[in-house]
Amino acid sequence: MLNIDNWLQSNTFHHGQFWDLLRLIREKERRGLTISLCIPTLNEEKTIGKEVVLFKSELMDRYALLDEIAVIDSGSTDRTLEVAASFGADVYNSADILPSMGFKRGKGENLWKAIYQLRGDIIVYVDADIKNIHPRFVYGLVAPLIYRPEIRYVKAFYDRPLALSDKIRPSGGGRVTEILVRPLFSLFFPELTAIIQPLSGEYAVRREILERLSFPVGYGVETSHLIDVYSDYGLEAFAQTDLDQRIHRHQETQDLGKMAFGIMRAFFKRLKARGIVSDLPELTCNLRQFLAQENRYQQVIHEIYEEERPPMIEVPEYRRKFGLEDQGH
Amino acid sequence: MAVMDELEQILYRVRRLPAELEPFREMLLANLVMIGEIPAPTFGEKRRIAFLQQRFTECGLQNCSTDELGNGVAILPGSEGERAILVTAHADTPFPAGVDHTFMVSHGVVRGPGVADDSLGLAVLATLPTLLEGLGITLASDLILMGATRSLEQGNQEGLRFFLANSKRPLYAGISLEGASLGRLHFRSVASLGSVISCHVDRRYSQLSAVDVINQVVNRLHALVLPSQSHTALVLGSISGGSSYKVPARNAQLKFQLRSDSDQVLVDLVEQVDAILDDMGQQSGVSAHMEVIARTRSGGLDSNHPLVVRTRRVMSALDIQPWDTIYSPVISGYVEQEVPAVCIGLTNADNVNYPDESVEIDPILTGVAQLIGILLTIDGGCRAEH
Repeated sequence: MLNIDNWLQSNTFHHGQFWDLLRLIREKERRGLTISLCIPTLNEEKTIGKEVVLFKSELMDRYALLDEIAVIDSGSTDRTLEVAASFGADVYNSADILPSMGFKRGKGENLWKAIYQLRGDIIVYVDADIKNIHPRFVYGLVAPLIYRPEIRYVKAFYDRPLALSDKIRPSGGGRVTEILVRPLFSLFFPELTAIIQPLSGEYAVRREILERLSFPVGYGVETSHLIDVYSDYGLEAFAQTDLDQRIHRHQETQDLGKMAFGIMRAFFKRLKARGIVSDLPELTCNLRQFLAQENRYQQVIHEIYEEERPPMIEVPEYRRKFGLEDQGH
Repeated sequence: MAVMDELEQILYRVRRLPAELEPFREMLLANLVMIGEIPAPTFGEKRRIAFLQQRFTECGLQNCSTDELGNGVAILPGSEGERAILVTAHADTPFPAGVDHTFMVSHGVVRGPGVADDSLGLAVLATLPTLLEGLGITLASDLILMGATRSLEQGNQEGLRFFLANSKRPLYAGISLEGASLGRLHFRSVASLGSVISCHVDRRYSQLSAVDVINQVVNRLHALVLPSQSHTALVLGSISGGSSYKVPARNAQLKFQLRSDSDQVLVDLVEQVDAILDDMGQQSGVSAHMEVIARTRSGGLDSNHPLVVRTRRVMSALDIQPWDTIYSPVISGYVEQEVPAVCIGLTNADNVNYPDESVEIDPILTGVAQLIGILLTIDGGCRAEH
């Protein structure tokens, strides 16, 4: 079964391999590709300005790698959109995109609506809370898609894998990855364990893949993508790029609990759909956490629905916009 | 008359430059962030210079190179190339490499350690070739662009001094860029001496605290007669010593600066400081010596030098109010090699040399217009009418 070692050798990159942006752009033009950057936001005024400035200047004005930069916002109450627009990004309220489909709050919703709103053949998603943002966060992810047509989905990771390191040392993702996602993948989709950071919010994907994926609107979107793409195309469809260090906000353990809950709901849904498990009970939407006050403990119930958006290619407005009305799915 | 007409035409263009530079604002800010997030303590500027060199290479500049002291240098050739104008910014900052160098770009402000001093100067230097090309400006003179190393504190402007002393090419004029603040127009330097006095007490012969010895030195320094007609001043900068509150200090240090309009006054004062230290050494078990860490010479341009006059005209055209002070140690290196030079600021800044240092974005384009304006007004020559 496992072709993990081969895959690590052939499909794991370091951003430094793609330093030659002129060559990258020539190849992009030769293949006639367009690339869109989507930055999903919710109250990110402290970091969004730098991100837009760097990407626009370096990857649109200086090197024409990106064809558009879009900020898709879930309803920020700070000046996120104002700051992003002032530095030249296209800004959208998620609720204003495909209004006939309604609005659901969650990062996955923004990513899904980006498929409709943006025009690129490749869409690269980059989170807005990265303190040490750098052009490598984009070119490191799109380069494998430009150079290797068989690659469809490129994930970021922020450490060197064992197979490439000079010295052997533990390599992996964050807390939720190591105590939830990787154990689950080990049990049910062992090859997917080769993806060093399955939950990283930075990835680049071809439109023909994105438009066929359903999107959990919340925490489960990254995990479900990996399972769905893997099921249809195998591990060979993936690549991953080491982007060195990523400095971002630290999340509290209670928040990671919510994330883990959402991921598990999306995960079990897929196990059931694939017939891997059959007798699952109806899964609750209630996550129960506890607060301690002196000797008393108070139960806090979080309702986490983890709704899913259908594949965009099934949405009539999308099919009209991209001229797919006469084609089958 | 023709010269004045030409100058007026240039100033007419200069007034429009901030608006013409607007499309390049993000490029400037991106360079500012990428440069500023590379730590560059004095003597540790290598990575920042490497980035600058990469930018120079991308712009197709000639002779991109680093010299023995690590200065990053490149040439933007002019149409005639008879003259060479040096534009420089220092690459080092006062912040150690371990400090978080993450920058924040918000509405109207860029914040981060070293953003004003002098990441912005270096960013403008890195962007200048692109700006000139974008504006359709080709100078007759060659522009030598240099990121200077070892500028601050004990660096003592070594990078700039080294380049000026060893440049094979005669320099027609020099322009030093500082991020802060708009309105800075320095064209003279005072004579100055930055020194460390170190005191040591040998426990075999004395139980005196080195702190007491430093205290005696401070009192004697205060007793020096400083000639007021030469604007001479003593600055006691920092003091350190000892290892515990329980035992007399064996070692203590005092950092101070003497400065004056007159080189000779400074020479005389240094002789008096040496005498003070000799006196300290007369005490049993006490030794005291002085190490010079920075030195500048007095001199520079007169207020009616064409470079100064034209810089003022450009500032006036852009509604920039010049500061009252005209002195900067940066000018000293130029004075030593008799190169006419000015030092200008690029924008307004706050909390300079603190971790929450910030610069205002909007005035930056005016600051850059000022630089380009000066280049345009001296490109045809500014010594001829002197």
